[in-house]
Order: sequence, then C-alpha cells, then structure tokens
Amino acid sequence: MVQKLIFVLIYNRSIQTARELKTAGNNQVVTNYFVIQSFISQKVVYVVEVKILAKKPNLKEIERRAYMSYHQDGLLDIFAGLYVLGFGLGITMEILWDFGFGVIMPGILIATVLPIWIAAKRKITLPRIGFVSFGVRGANKLMAIFLGVMVAGLGAFFAFTFATFQGGSRQWLDLIVQNGMIIVGLGTLAVCTLFGYSMGLRRLYVYGLLAALVLFIGHFLGIFFAYILTALGITVMVVGFALLISFVKKYPLQGDKAIVE
Amino acid sequence: MIMAQLYVIQSADFTFLLHQTGMTPGNLSAHLSKLEDAGYVEITKEFIERKPHTALALTKKGRAAFKEYRQKVKQFVEKLPE
Repeated sequence: MVQKLIFVLIYNRSIQTARELKTAGNNQVVTNYFVIQSFISQKVVYVVEVKILAKKPNLKEIERRAYMSYHQDGLLDIFAGLYVLGFGLGITMEILWDFGFGVIMPGILIATVLPIWIAAKRKITLPRIGFVSFGVRGANKLMAIFLGVMVAGLGAFFAFTFATFQGGSRQWLDLIVQNGMIIVGLGTLAVCTLFGYSMGLRRLYVYGLLAALVLFIGHFLGIFFAYILTALGITVMVVGFALLISFVKKYPLQGDKAIVE
Repeated sequence: MIMAQLYVIQSADFTFLLHQTGMTPGNLSAHLSKLEDAGYVEITKEFIERKPHTALALTKKGRAAFKEYRQKVKQFVEKLPE
C-alpha cells in the first residue's frame, strides 16, 4: 500500500497528487509526513506529504482504539444504564410504597452488577477480541480522574456550604435543592466528558449531553426526577444492547486461530 | 505496528493483536517470532481456566528501542522542509 502510494507520487512528480490522495480517504492508513527526495529530474527535489502509520505511529490514537475495542461490546452501556434505571425505579418505588426501595434497589445493583459485568466480559468479549491488560498506568489514570471528580465535587460543596453558614444563611443549600436537576445534569456532563476523554469513548460525550439536556428540560417543565432517570437508563441500555448485537455479529466466535498458541 | 500496539498497553494476547493490527495469523506470528528473537517482545504461555493463553508484552529492551525509534523519526520529521 505504502510502496504503491510512493510509486504513484514519484510517477506523477507532483505534491498535488499527494494532497489529493490524502484527502481521498487514505487518512486512516497514513498518519505521518514522509519525505521522498527524488532526483529524477536532476533539479527538482520532491517533498511529498504521505502519512505512514509505520513511520510515526499516533500512539494516542492507537491507545484510544485499544480502549474502544475493549468497550465496543456495549456491556458498559448496558450495566451503566441498569444502574441509572435502578436508581430511577428505586426512587419511584420509594415514593409509591415507602418501603426503603430508594436504598435497597441501588444497594442490590451495586452488589450484583459489577460481578455480572466482569463475568459477561469474560464470556462474551474476551473470547471474541482477545485479552488486553492496560496495566497500572491505565487503571491509575481512571482512578485519578474518579478521585479528582469526587474531591472537586465534595470540596466545592463543603466550601460553599461553609461559606454560606458563616453568613448565617441557608441560601446555598436552598439553591442546591431548588436546582438539583440542573446540578446533577452538569455533574453528569462533566463526569461523562472526563471518562469519555480518558477512555477514548466518544459516545460518553453524547450520554453526558443527553443527560444534561433532559435534566435541564425536566427542571423547567417540572418532570419528576426519577422518571427522567428511568428514561435515561432505558435509553443507555437500549444503545448498549444494539452495540452488543453489532459486536457479536462483527466478531463471531471462531476456532483457535492463534498460531503462536 | 505491533510494537506500537504493545507500547500503549501492558500486555495482550494473540487474538487481540490480530484484531488490532488487521494482520493474518501467519503474518503476525512470523513478525512476533522475529521480535521475540530480537529480544523486543516477551511471549508467555500459560493456562487460564484450563485454556491455553499466550500473553505478549514488550520487554524493557523493546520499549527502549521503540522510544528511540520514535525520537529519531521525530527529529527526522522536524528537519524536513515545509
């Protein structure tokens, strides 16, 4: 492929051709600038723009693709959606029956979903795309983001609360209660953006935006918070199932092809 | 390509590399053997839940070589005329 490109470029003696090839859809193969100094005409030095993956790999893109391939199975979406749905249903049932469902439901989910998610990864994902370990660096990055978000959120909350109480007013707390959905929406957008960026999962941006948008609208239209959570949870789960079906079709289970093995 | 894939992760198995690189099993296997001979890639064979599993990872030497290669390419590209 690369040799073919270089041949075509030298043959045409034109930088323009290189630019045309670049814009004609070879951008995935090519990621780097490569120079061919050709003295075919004895006078002209050809400087050709060709992106060649093998010459200077875009490591961030490769890392992003590795992360993405690991999470393209939709399992993350299904179980994240299940959590959100569980919270929504928990709050709704709590209000309807006042039986402590608001605590029980999320508790059950937190205790059960993670082990099921790990088992599903082992049974569905790993046999299809193989095993990958991102190592301590990857785990540390996610943990650092998670802790950073927690510390920043709690820090901001306590700082504002402390400042408000110093003035002998409950305005700040009242403001939080009155605008809870907007705050949750913005928080969700921030968390989704951070995790989406660090994991290379761009669909998390969409989830964040969707959650923020729906919660904003819900706040102004006075829609019950739990209903919005339930709808969001179902939406994310549906996307997850669609991704899972597509993943299973794209990577069917095959016999052991590993020659090294 | 293989070196770049292994550089951004800690380790992976053959199937994962196969999907990520888009190579054929035979081609990938041949490249891995050469990289192993050069001391750049470490191939560990083990059993996980009674199934054979081959873990592939860059060695320290491989990591250093790839880093050096990238620096050289970077220097080369920076020297290029616009």
